[in-house]
Amino acid sequence: MDFTFSPEHTALRRMIREFVEAEVAPIAAELDREHKVPYEVMRKLGEIGLLGVCFPQKYGGMGAGETGYCILMEELGKVCTSTATNVGAHIGIGAMVIHLDGTPEQKEKYLTPLSRGQKIAAFGLTESNAGSDAANIRTRAVREGDSWILDGGKVYITNGGYADIITVMAVTDPALGARGGVTAFIVETDWPGFSVAREEDKMGIRGTSTAELVFEELRVPHENVLGKVGEGFVSFMKSLDMGRLTLGAACLGGAQAALDWSVRWAKRRRLFGAELAHKQSVQWMIANMATEVEALRSLVYRVAWMVDTGQPFTQLAAMCKMYGSEVASRAIDMALQIHGGLGLTRDYPIERAFRDARIAEIFEGTNEIQRIVIATNIFREHGVRIRP
Amino acid sequence: MDASYLDLLMAQQEEVSEAEGGGGGVWVVADLLDGALAPVTLQALGAARTLADSLGAYVYAVLPGSGVSDLTPILYQAGADGVRIADDPSLASFALEPYLAVLSDLFAAEKPEVVLFGATDAGEQLAARLAQRMGGGLIEHVTAVSLDEATRAVQATFPIYGGAYFEIAACPQARPQFLTVEPGAFPTPYLDRYRSGEPKTLAVQPVEAAVRVVGAAEDFVPPAVPLAQAPVIVAVGRQAGDVELARQLATALGAQFAGDRGARDAGWIDASRIVDVRGVTVAPRVYVALGIRGDTFHNAAIEEAGFVLAVHPDPSAPIFEVADLGLEADPAEVLPALLEALK
Amino acid sequence: MRIVVVLGRVLDPAGIVVNARAGRVFVNREEYLLQPADRCALEAALRVKDELGAEVVALPRSPLPDDDVLRQALALGVDRAIYLTGEGLRQADDAAMVRALKAAIERLGGADLLLTGATTLDSGQTQLGPRLAEALGWPQVTAGWSLKVADGRAQVVRQQGSQYVLVEAMLPAVVTLQPGSLKLRYPDGARLVNIYKNVGEIAQALETWDAVELVGEPLTPLVEGRGRDFPPPRERGARAAGSAAEMAQAAAAALRQRVGR
Repeated sequence: MDFTFSPEHTALRRMIREFVEAEVAPIAAELDREHKVPYEVMRKLGEIGLLGVCFPQKYGGMGAGETGYCILMEELGKVCTSTATNVGAHIGIGAMVIHLDGTPEQKEKYLTPLSRGQKIAAFGLTESNAGSDAANIRTRAVREGDSWILDGGKVYITNGGYADIITVMAVTDPALGARGGVTAFIVETDWPGFSVAREEDKMGIRGTSTAELVFEELRVPHENVLGKVGEGFVSFMKSLDMGRLTLGAACLGGAQAALDWSVRWAKRRRLFGAELAHKQSVQWMIANMATEVEALRSLVYRVAWMVDTGQPFTQLAAMCKMYGSEVASRAIDMALQIHGGLGLTRDYPIERAFRDARIAEIFEGTNEIQRIVIATNIFREHGVRIRP
Repeated sequence: MDASYLDLLMAQQEEVSEAEGGGGGVWVVADLLDGALAPVTLQALGAARTLADSLGAYVYAVLPGSGVSDLTPILYQAGADGVRIADDPSLASFALEPYLAVLSDLFAAEKPEVVLFGATDAGEQLAARLAQRMGGGLIEHVTAVSLDEATRAVQATFPIYGGAYFEIAACPQARPQFLTVEPGAFPTPYLDRYRSGEPKTLAVQPVEAAVRVVGAAEDFVPPAVPLAQAPVIVAVGRQAGDVELARQLATALGAQFAGDRGARDAGWIDASRIVDVRGVTVAPRVYVALGIRGDTFHNAAIEEAGFVLAVHPDPSAPIFEVADLGLEADPAEVLPALLEALK
Repeated sequence: MRIVVVLGRVLDPAGIVVNARAGRVFVNREEYLLQPADRCALEAALRVKDELGAEVVALPRSPLPDDDVLRQALALGVDRAIYLTGEGLRQADDAAMVRALKAAIERLGGADLLLTGATTLDSGQTQLGPRLAEALGWPQVTAGWSLKVADGRAQVVRQQGSQYVLVEAMLPAVVTLQPGSLKLRYPDGARLVNIYKNVGEIAQALETWDAVELVGEPLTPLVEGRGRDFPPPRERGARAAGSAAEMAQAAAAALRQRVGR
C-alpha cells in the first residue's frame, strides 16, 4: 500500500496552493461581505486548466482525475468555501454530467469551453417541491418536432445566476416517474424562455449565486438531450455520487483550516499564567479535531483512488459527504470556542467559516439521504431490500 | 582611555610607508556614496586590519573615481598602509568595464591574498567578475571574519534567510579570496588623525562601458510590496505624537508605514494598514512601534518580527514585553533626536 | 533566438524552525520553492518568448538531487530543460557550476540572452549571473526590475542610488532579475500533469547531461562550508536608559545595524 501522492498530484497541489494564496485568499472576506461571485477567479482558474482538472485533455481538461479534483477542492476549502462551492457546482455536477454521459459532439461543443472556464456550468435539479425527494420534480419537457419545450422552474441552483450552460432535469413522461420518465437536457442560458427570477440572500456561502430559474416555453434542440430520453435520473445520480466525494474534500480543507487557526491562537493567547495550549480542555479539542481531520483525509483520498481506478464507490462517497460535513461543522464550532470573543468579530475569518460550514450538511443530498444511501447499500449486500 | 586622550599621546604624526614588492596583503576596494567614502568602506578597512594583523600582512585600499584625491587621507586614518588611486573622468560614476579594467590590472600585478568589497551594487558586480576572472572564491554579505591560521584562509560568516541563522565558509586554496562586506555589520574603525601616507596613482586606460544608461525610467513604478511581506515597518498608535515625524522616520529607514486600530480610528492610516490579527499579520526584519500600547491582538500579529523597537510613555504598556528594545518616553520627544542620529 | 534561464531551488523558510539556544535548525516541513528571483527571470524569458518568439532553455543554478525544478519550468512554458548530473557535481559551488553551465551552453550551440535571479533567498548570493557573464565574455545588467528585448538589445530598468534608470546592453548579455519584480504566470495545468507523468511531447523536452563529461575534468569547488552560527537568543523587554537624547542614540545604533543604511 503506497499512501503517497503521485508526482503530478504533488506538483498540482503546489500550483493550486500558490494560486489560492495569491488570488483567492485576498478576496475571501470581500466576497462574503459584498455578496459577490468570484467571476475573475473563475476565469483565471479556467485559463490555467483547473476548471477541467478531472476532465480529459482532449476536451480542454487537465486529466488529473478525481484525486486532482479533490486536491483542488481541499485547497480552496481551506481558504474560501464560497469559491469552492462555485467551482464544485461548475465541475462536479454541472460539467460532470456532460463528461459522464455526453456524446463526443456534446463534449466537443460544451465540455471544452467549460474546462477552460470560457463558459460556466450549473446543475438544475431541485425544485420547490423536490429537494431530497428529487423524483417529485414537475418541470415538464414536451417533444415538438426536433425540439423539446420546457416549462417549469428550479430553485436553489448554485451558479444559476451567471451560468452559461445548465444541465436541467425535466419530466418527459409523467406516468413513468423517476424510472423512465425523466430526461436530462443541456440548456444554454441565453436561449429565449430562460430567466433568472431571483437570488437568495443567505446566511453563509454568500460568495455564491443561489438562484431561482424559470423556464417558459424554453425550446431545447433534441441534440441537447443528455444520455437517453427517459434515463436522466441515472445520469444525475452518477454525477451526484462524484460530487459527494469532492464536497467531502472541500470540508476536509475547511476542517484543516479551523484546526490550523486554533493551534495558532492556542500558541499565543495567554490566560491564568500560561498559553491556551497548556490547558487540557483545549488540548482535547485540538486532539479531537486533528484525529477527525486525519480520518477524513484518509477516507476522501482513498475514495478518490477508487474512482480513479474504476472501482465502485457510491457508498463510500456518501460517507465522505456525510462525515466530511459533520467533521467540518464540529471543527469550526470548536475553533470558534477556542477563539472566544475574537471568533465572533467580522474582521477575523472564523465567523465567516462558521456560517459557511452549515450548508454542507444539507446540500448535495442531505446527510439524512446520505445515511439512507449507506444503509441501503449495506443491507443490499446482505440481501435485504430497504423500502424507502 | 578615551579617544581624545589617545590623540594627545599620539600627537606625533605617523607617516606610513609600504613594504616594497612581495604582493599579498589585504585589499579594500573603496565605494563612494554621494561624493564621500561609503561607510561600508571604512567598516571593511576595520575588518581588513583585523585580518591583516593575523596574517602578518599589510592593508591596502584602492579608490577608483574622479576628483577623489581629497578622500585618500581618511583611508590612511582608517588603517590603510597603502593607497592606490585611479582618478579619471571615465571613472566619475560606476560603470563595470572601466572599473574592472583598473582593478583587474592592479590585482594581476599585486596578487592580493584577500580582497574586500562593500556589498553594494558596484562592489557585488566587481567582486564577482574579478573572482571569476582571477579564479578566486567569493563569499558574499559577510558579517564576521576570523582567520584559519593553517591555510591563511578567511573564515567568513554570512546570514541565511535574512539572519535566521548564519553559515561560515572559507576558501582554503584559491587566491585571491574575495569577500563582500555587509554594510553595518562591522564597526567603523577609529580614525587616527595622525596617520597619513602618499597614495600611488594608477594609470587609467580608456575602456568603454558595455551598458549604456539611456535615462531616468520615468514611467516605471516599482511593484508594491504587500505590508505582510515588508522587511521594515514603522507603525504608529494613539500615543505616537507627531505623525509627520513618524512618516519621516519611515522614509529614512525605507520602511512601510502602518499602525494599530487606534491609528486607523485617528485617520492616520487606511484600514488595510492595520497591524493586528484582525488586520494584517506582518513578519518584518525590523518593526518600530511608536505610541502603540500593544494589546494581544496587535502583539500576536508581530510575533515573527526579527527586531521590535517600541516607544511609549507608559512603562507598563504591554508592548514592552514583546519589544527587543523599549524606550519609555514620549515619541514626540525621542523622534527628532532619532531622526538626527540616523542622518 | 535562444534564451537560457538558470534556475535553482530553495528550502521553504516557512517549514524551518531555528532554535538559536540549542544551535539547531529543525526542518519541520521539507518543501522546496523555485528561487523567487529565478522565477522572475523565468517570467521575463517567457514574456520575451511571447512577444518575439524564442527558444527558452532551463538549466540548473546548482547541483540538484532531482529534476523537480526543471519540470516546474517546463510546466510554466520553457521549451527545453537540461538536468545536469555527474560524479563530483554534488559539491559544486558557484565557481564550479559556472564551468558546467558554460560547457552546457556551448553544447546547446550558444545563446543570445542569459537570465537568472539577482539574488538567492537563502544565502543572498548575487555572484552567479556576473560570473557567467565573465565566463561567456558578455555584458551584464544586474538587479533588474523589468526587461524588454528589441533591436538586438536588452533594455532593463534598474535602481541606481535612489533612482530608477533605464539601461541597455547589446545582446548577447546576462541580465539578472530582482525577486518580486514581475507578476508571475501560473503553469498550464495539462502541461504540468504531463511533465510529471512523463507523457506526451513534453516528456521529450527534459534531457539529462553529465556535467563532468561536458567539462572534461572534475568540478571541484573553491569555497567550502565550515559550519553554522546562530544569533544570540532573543532578549525581550530590554529598556534603553538615560535622557531622551541618549535613548535616541541607542535606538539609532540598533536600527542602523539592522536596516544597514
